Amino acid sequence: MHIITHACTQCGTVVSANELESNRVMKCPGLGCENVLRFTDLDQADQEHFLDNKASYEL
Amino acid sequence: MKGVLLSGGTGSRLRPITHTGPKQLVPVANKPVLEYAVEDLKEAGITEIGVILGHKGREEIQDLLGDGSDYGVEITYIVQGNPLGLAHAAGCAKDFVGDDDFVMYLGDNILKEGVVDLVESFESGDFGAGIALQEVENPQQFGIADVDDQGNVTQLIEKPDEPPTNLALIGMYVFSPAVFDAIEQLEPSWRGELEITDAIQSLLEDGYAIDSHVVEGWWKDTGKPEDILEANQLVLEDKSLKKRGTVSDDATVDGRIELAESATIEDGAVVRGPVSIADGAVIKSGTYVGPYTSVGPNSTLEGVHIENSVVIGESSINTSGRIVDSLLGKGANIGSADDFLPEGRRLVVGENSQLKL
Repeated sequence: MHIITHACTQCGTVVSANELESNRVMKCPGLGCENVLRFTDLDQADQEHFLDNKASYEL
Repeated sequence: MKGVLLSGGTGSRLRPITHTGPKQLVPVANKPVLEYAVEDLKEAGITEIGVILGHKGREEIQDLLGDGSDYGVEITYIVQGNPLGLAHAAGCAKDFVGDDDFVMYLGDNILKEGVVDLVESFESGDFGAGIALQEVENPQQFGIADVDDQGNVTQLIEKPDEPPTNLALIGMYVFSPAVFDAIEQLEPSWRGELEITDAIQSLLEDGYAIDSHVVEGWWKDTGKPEDILEANQLVLEDKSLKKRGTVSDDATVDGRIELAESATIEDGAVVRGPVSIADGAVIKSGTYVGPYTSVGPNSTLEGVHIENSVVIGESSINTSGRIVDSLLGKGANIGSADDFLPEGRRLVVGENSQLKL
């Protein structure tokens, strides 16, 4: 399985694609970090891969 | 070498305790299970630790560990979200790990001997992975490893009918970055998860040597209430216990006691170790605290006889009854119904609670 993640550019906290997709826009969960993370921060190819295979990223 | 500490999961087997917090923060000998893992990694010289978070208890875990500086380590948080298996959790750590090797440690496990020997064994050769094994009496119920004379793993078998060895995988691993390619090739198992044993099997089939290390000391997965009690016994048995609090002249204290600085054992109380009593706890007259009990912070015990139990904290226990083999959640209060009519027990019990009356 292609595991897709995004690292916050400000604090380095890593967030998986399923978390980004379910929130679409979220405050970075890093300690004290005010950065805003978006599903669209992922590469276009990773976004498309995730959405094409969304079922496999769910329980 | 980096560390990846798994702290997700729902903790369903520890309900109702885990209705209000993650299983990794349940205390054993008055210390959250997760802290033992951080200390083991630090002891092995690993100071860069990625903590995998699931849906449950993220803020509580971050509140406890912070940036890691209190423990002398540097912590990066990795939000896995959906619990898609151990191999998915490891895969989420790819950017954090980079080109380093890493120890993967299950945050609800406690290991007497830590991970120093596991890491040294892995580093003594050129391995794709290293796995911790322990001899078990019922290998049919575990994932089992077959190993050659040099300790190299030759095969992994899940719950075999005819096990080739009694060496079970116990959930402590060391990986080279090669595992990320193996994970990329995995498909979810029948239960919808990416299995770490499948990733190790894939490494084996790709020709990587897999090291094994047989753990001699005890190991506990603290997933169930009875496991917490057993882990509490094992840790209290081994731990160096210091008595710093106040023991009144007419209290009776035998055996090894850990008494925090602001804890008090009052006149007429009897405490028989090994026992751990946390800060702010008060053991009042007429109370007996027996072996293998941990009393959490700011708890008051009066009149009760309690042993082989864990009181997580902030509790008031004021009854003449006996409590044994019990796990009491934070803020649980137990009083006496002796003066009430009609006679009978009065209970306010949460969902998934277990009582034996």
